[in-house]
Amino acid sequence: MEFTLKPFIFYGFALMTIASALVVVTVRNIVHAAFSLMVTLFGVAGLYVFLQADFLAATQVIVYVGGILVLILFGVMMTSGRLEMRIHIERGQLLLGGVVALALLMLLLTVIANTPAWKNLTDDGTELPPTTERIGELILNGPFLLPFEVVSVLLLVALIGAALISRKEVRD
Amino acid sequence: MTLQHYLVISAILFTLGIFAVLTRRNAISILMGIELILNSCNLNFAAFSRFMTPPEDISGQVIAIFGIVLAAAEAAVFLAIILAIYREFGSIRPNEVDTLKG
Amino acid sequence: MVVPLISLILLCPLAAFAIFGLLGLGNRSFPRQDYLSTAAMLIGLVCSLLLLREVVPDPVPHTVKWISLGGVTFSMGFHLDSVTVIMLIVVTLVSSLVHIFSMGYMHGDPRYPRFFAYLSLFSFSMLFLVVSDNLLGIYIGWELVGLCSYLLIGFWFEKDSAANACKKAFLTTRVGDVGMFIGMMMLFTKFKTLSLYGEGGIFALAASLNTEDMVWLSIAGVLIFCGAIGKSAQVPLHTWLPDAMEGPTPVSALIHAATMVAAGVYLTARMFPILTETSSLVIAYIGGITALIAATIAIVRFDIKRVLAYSTISQLGYMMLGIGAGSYVAGLFHLTTHAFFKALLFLGSGSVIHAFHAMHAHGHDDEHDHAHDDHDAHGNQDLVHAHGSEIPPDQDMRNMGGLRHKMPITFVTMLIATLSISGVPFVFSGFWSKDAILGGVLGRAMEWNSVHHYLLFGIALFAAGITAFYMFRLIFMTFFGEPRNQEMHDMAHESPMSMTVPLLILAVLSLPIVNVLWFNENYVKPPEQPHLHAPQHAHISPDIKTDKAKMTLSLFGISEAVAAEEGGNDTHGAHVDEGHHGHGPAHTIAMVLSIFVAGLGILLSWMFYHRRSLSAESVATTFRPLYNLFWHKYYFDEFYDGVLVALTVWKARLFAQFDGTIVDGIVNGVGTVTRDILAVFIGIFDNRVVDGLVNRVAEVTWAIGGRVRRIQTGAIQTYLFVVLAGIVLLILIFRVL
Repeated sequence: MEFTLKPFIFYGFALMTIASALVVVTVRNIVHAAFSLMVTLFGVAGLYVFLQADFLAATQVIVYVGGILVLILFGVMMTSGRLEMRIHIERGQLLLGGVVALALLMLLLTVIANTPAWKNLTDDGTELPPTTERIGELILNGPFLLPFEVVSVLLLVALIGAALISRKEVRD
Repeated sequence: MTLQHYLVISAILFTLGIFAVLTRRNAISILMGIELILNSCNLNFAAFSRFMTPPEDISGQVIAIFGIVLAAAEAAVFLAIILAIYREFGSIRPNEVDTLKG
Repeated sequence: MVVPLISLILLCPLAAFAIFGLLGLGNRSFPRQDYLSTAAMLIGLVCSLLLLREVVPDPVPHTVKWISLGGVTFSMGFHLDSVTVIMLIVVTLVSSLVHIFSMGYMHGDPRYPRFFAYLSLFSFSMLFLVVSDNLLGIYIGWELVGLCSYLLIGFWFEKDSAANACKKAFLTTRVGDVGMFIGMMMLFTKFKTLSLYGEGGIFALAASLNTEDMVWLSIAGVLIFCGAIGKSAQVPLHTWLPDAMEGPTPVSALIHAATMVAAGVYLTARMFPILTETSSLVIAYIGGITALIAATIAIVRFDIKRVLAYSTISQLGYMMLGIGAGSYVAGLFHLTTHAFFKALLFLGSGSVIHAFHAMHAHGHDDEHDHAHDDHDAHGNQDLVHAHGSEIPPDQDMRNMGGLRHKMPITFVTMLIATLSISGVPFVFSGFWSKDAILGGVLGRAMEWNSVHHYLLFGIALFAAGITAFYMFRLIFMTFFGEPRNQEMHDMAHESPMSMTVPLLILAVLSLPIVNVLWFNENYVKPPEQPHLHAPQHAHISPDIKTDKAKMTLSLFGISEAVAAEEGGNDTHGAHVDEGHHGHGPAHTIAMVLSIFVAGLGILLSWMFYHRRSLSAESVATTFRPLYNLFWHKYYFDEFYDGVLVALTVWKARLFAQFDGTIVDGIVNGVGTVTRDILAVFIGIFDNRVVDGLVNRVAEVTWAIGGRVRRIQTGAIQTYLFVVLAGIVLLILIFRVL
């Protein structure tokens, strides 16, 4: 059995992702939460790499970290005064939410543990060729051409819709 | 690294997202929770694609890419709505936006 | 060919009227409606002539189902036998000629197109009545011609007299129609059908009735005849027809002389198979009395149209008498000949009136003023007194005289018609038909040894003499002698071609050329009368039957035909033979007597009104009461006015009083009780129970709503929490269970 760094790195990414996500949902300062979210997104991107999804990992970093997270920070800037930076939390709500989330987690873990088809599927560690070319092939010249076009239209619609909703209302 | 590793990570991310959506009293925090949920979904897609299908088949990854795109669109619209709400109510606390209260 | 031809005959005039009606919706009218209507009638005439060949001995009705009501199906259809065809020809022919005549007569009238449209509608209705094979169709046509009569009598409705006359005509005929409807319903309740012919028809079913039903059948027959009394202006419902002369003269010729009034006779003839001896006798008596009364009234009239109107009533009485006496063919034969010569007389009188009328410049101003005077004089009793005691100057025979040089065509044609109606022998059609009726009545009298029929024969004979007298009085006063009114005489002139040509055609038709149809025993077959039985004392011997066949007027070359008919009918012992030239000795006697009385009538007329060797005035003075009776038309109008109208008014007052005191009292009493007593209790109940219930329900709903609405916090996180908790719970439940 060859000793490799791989499991350590994997568990490191996993730990980083979960811990930073925990920070996201618990920290009081919203700016801290946003930065913590960035760490989570990087962690997920690392997990993608372990799944040999190189293009996906790159997209995750570019779109999430470069786009969505910046967007969120802009949202924070435009809506929150200094007082709003601290997230108000009610104790009772925290308790109820915690119970439901925990129940959900238990449920999911039970399902994951008890589903026979998912057992004993290990990563044999074979190197797969880069995916970018094949993804481009699938999207632009394959079965995903139509969904791709639809998603393009969806993005356009979202763009226009977001612009329309967020602009200052013009009163006649 | 088995499939179940990824699924457990994904499940924890999902639950944390749900928890954020349920408990945070700030619309942008809720958005962050939603992003966590979406990430857990995409991770699932990628993991199933890796373990449950032949190595050449990477359509799961393509679906995950679509998921990212949808998340981007969702985030844009969400923030636009938050801006509109902020202008209208002067706050983005979801419990204060309750015009539809019975 | 039968159905298309009849459909064409019916649809052409209907289309002509429909075009007027459709354009009328847009408040316009087709300026050449006259050509349209006339063309429609001429097409009808051609089709009718074509139908002559289509007649079969035992016709099958062409029917379609019309409406079904609770198991009873009413059908509509045509029945085409020889009588139908002859009626079709008569109607279309007279109608066509009247259309042509009207183009001249009505020229310049402000409602000229409407007049022709009404004529078309009338023609359609009359033809529909004629061809219908069931009582319902006949009744529909019957009421439609009544409506057209109303519209056309009141065509110049600016005149009060015309407006009153049309109302009177409509209401009077309605009295008879009610009887007819009851009769129809009696037949319907018995037989569950209104069809006349065929297997399930009334005639076939009525033939199988036994003797217990005879009273019932007699009543039904008389009630249906009531319709004919009204429509054919028989006594006592005859008073509307003279007043109907307020309509334009072509209308009088077409509707009130030739066709519509003859519809009553036609109906009676159609009902021939269900007549019993009682109903036959009623019909015969009413016909005979009408013939006599109308003839005597006609003697003293001075209005040329009124004379002709009473003459029409009298002749219709003859037809009824003929049918009532069992002379089916004779009655219808007289209907045909009368249609032509009476239409001719009316159109001739129209020509005379038109000649005088020219001085009024086609305006009716003169009559207008006159009508107003009349109205003032009579007050609001005009409905009954619509006849008006004053005569329009252009219709007053006392203003006429010596017109034969001015209007030669009118004179000659009217003279032919007068000779025909008076019964001058051999070359005029009226002689044959009237003689057929007289012979038929006398034959029935001799055969049955019946006092009734001897009496009726006497009446008819006397009326025939009077007819000759008053008709020649008309001719002498109008066309002979010196002009009585020089101013009007100077204005008179012969009428235009469109008016004289129809006169000439009708004059030709007053010669016995139509007789061919009636004397062909293969063509017209009288229907059997299964319920008509000779009285016990009748002496029907086969000898007489054969004798009379031999003795029949061989001089006219028709004896063989008649003999054949006699032979054919002999099989039915109780069946009574046809009147026309059937009863040899009876016929000879009747003919000799009728020639004699006609000659006497003409002679007296000549002495009174032409040679003036006798003075009408002195005779009138001598028989003052009788003269008054005739002059006042047997006081029928006075009777109706004094008794029926007064009775109705008195009755109405009584009912009004009853209504005002008792009915209103009850209603008001109930109202008071309801308002003051019942309403209080209902109010309490309403306030306590009903309102309480409603309020409780509202309060409960309010309370529940107030609690439930708190679920809707408006906070999305609460909703999401509930949703997720629900999902977790559901999954847990499904895993556990």
